[in-house]
Amino acid sequence: MDKKVQLSGKFKLIMLVMIVLGVISVIAGFVTENGTRTWANLLLNNYYFLSIAMGALFWMAIQAVTQSGWSAAYLRIPQAMSNYLIVSFVLFALMFLGVHDLYHWTHADAVAQDPLLQHKAPYLNLPFFALRFVVFFGLWIFLTYRIKSLSLREDKVGGVAYFSKIEFSSKVFIFVFAFSFSLFSIDWLMSLDPHWYSTIYVVKKFISAFFHGVAAIAAIAIILRKLGYLPMLTKEHIANFSRYIFALSIIWAYMWLSQYLLIWYANIPEETIYYVPREMGEYKTMFYTELLVNWAFPFLFLMWNRVAKNENLVLFAVLVLIVGQWVELYMSIMPSIELKHAISLIEVGTFIGFAGLFGLVTGYSLSKMPLIPKNHPYLLESTTEEHF
Amino acid sequence: MKTNILGIYEDEDVLLHAIDKLQADGIVVADVYSPFPIHGIWSRLKLTTRLPYATFVYGAVGAVAIFMMLYWMSVVSYPLKFGGKPLNTLSFIIIMFVGTIFIGTLLTFLTYLGREKMFPGKQVVLPDPRSTEDKFVLVIANTEDMNEQETKHLMKMLKETGATEIKESTVNDHE
Repeated sequence: MDKKVQLSGKFKLIMLVMIVLGVISVIAGFVTENGTRTWANLLLNNYYFLSIAMGALFWMAIQAVTQSGWSAAYLRIPQAMSNYLIVSFVLFALMFLGVHDLYHWTHADAVAQDPLLQHKAPYLNLPFFALRFVVFFGLWIFLTYRIKSLSLREDKVGGVAYFSKIEFSSKVFIFVFAFSFSLFSIDWLMSLDPHWYSTIYVVKKFISAFFHGVAAIAAIAIILRKLGYLPMLTKEHIANFSRYIFALSIIWAYMWLSQYLLIWYANIPEETIYYVPREMGEYKTMFYTELLVNWAFPFLFLMWNRVAKNENLVLFAVLVLIVGQWVELYMSIMPSIELKHAISLIEVGTFIGFAGLFGLVTGYSLSKMPLIPKNHPYLLESTTEEHF
Repeated sequence: MKTNILGIYEDEDVLLHAIDKLQADGIVVADVYSPFPIHGIWSRLKLTTRLPYATFVYGAVGAVAIFMMLYWMSVVSYPLKFGGKPLNTLSFIIIMFVGTIFIGTLLTFLTYLGREKMFPGKQVVLPDPRSTEDKFVLVIANTEDMNEQETKHLMKMLKETGATEIKESTVNDHE
């Protein structure tokens, strides 16, 4: 029960090679391309892995609040991801070197000529932007660290006292997350187009993080089972994970449509401008790819019960969704930066680098604590009984 | 006349373990009546259903039917332009979405009732009416073919696995 994940030397080596590839890609980006594009690429990957970790942690909080039994054995996976938040904080802090390249509203001369930006200036100004960034990350790191340490103490002491404490912290985390992650998405993504706004935008980002975070947990759980670590991962558990992914793919599409349909229907130029480069310009294929990989594919694929219970097929679906979240963020960020659609090796390399870093941090954190929360009150239910 | 033997249990966990033991002994459990759905019964009794496939077909048919209705209404029968939007328009999707759910659910429900030969007001004959209250009833079907020794063994097994009551029933829909 106290089994920990052993990181093989090969795993560490692969992750380090991936990180080196990423660093080379970023340097190559700054040398060969314009700085703005490389900063946008860095923002994409930073936000990507933050959203995966935050979505996974939100899932963990949901499990505690609903007192779910089946998931008790898998809570360490999101808990391990919480360590990535610290890395993400550092990487996002480096992004401040590029804010002038990315954000039009940070230029004082641009704001001086623009009544709309002046109107938004009480919110969109650099000091307040930085303050929000620090406060949000502080809250996330504090709350997730608290939940993780309570869970680790529960391992030693046992009893239901820690269970109710974790539940309370999770409730706080859910409210904090909903509010702060929404504002965080406005700050870092929506303000790339400072003149445009959509109220559904943050809901879509929130759902997308949750959607792809759960997919990442499912993939890690399946991979760990293949390595012999989580023997309790039954067909029913895999079906539960795929149910999450399936349901969230519908909600994701619902949010996508809610935003698109309202803007299409109202047909106000200030709002439709957002979709002009995305749907009509060079990004046309990516625009439809986003819907295909994030909605049509998981919806039709995971609908079949046999697929939803098969770990290899679910793993395949998650691999597609990993691309899906990238496409979703690519479509949010890149058309606002430049009208030219071009995915080069630099984009791929940067993503590989960040994936290596995320994998290394998550893997290292998993290896530092017992993989199964052995005194979780619902562990028996999770590991012995069947769940539908 | 066909008879069944009923084992009556007080607890769903006891019942689940009883099914495992009976099946390990080669006894076929025909059915279980319980006041609420129990996790694990489905896979233990190897039950199958084609109802989800029917739902998929109903949903697909529903989506197409609603689209055809909307297309006929706003393009063929009464083409009225408003707001500069095309006649065959994206806003169909909302009604198609809702209509698909409605048609899929309603027809699935009716199919279920049809297959189970149920209708409002039907008097259902249960092997033991207490299975709608607090008892879990396990059915071993067609025991009239068994010889005395087999019946004795079955009774013993039911007792051992925790049945609080064992009785015969002539209510039969477990061919």
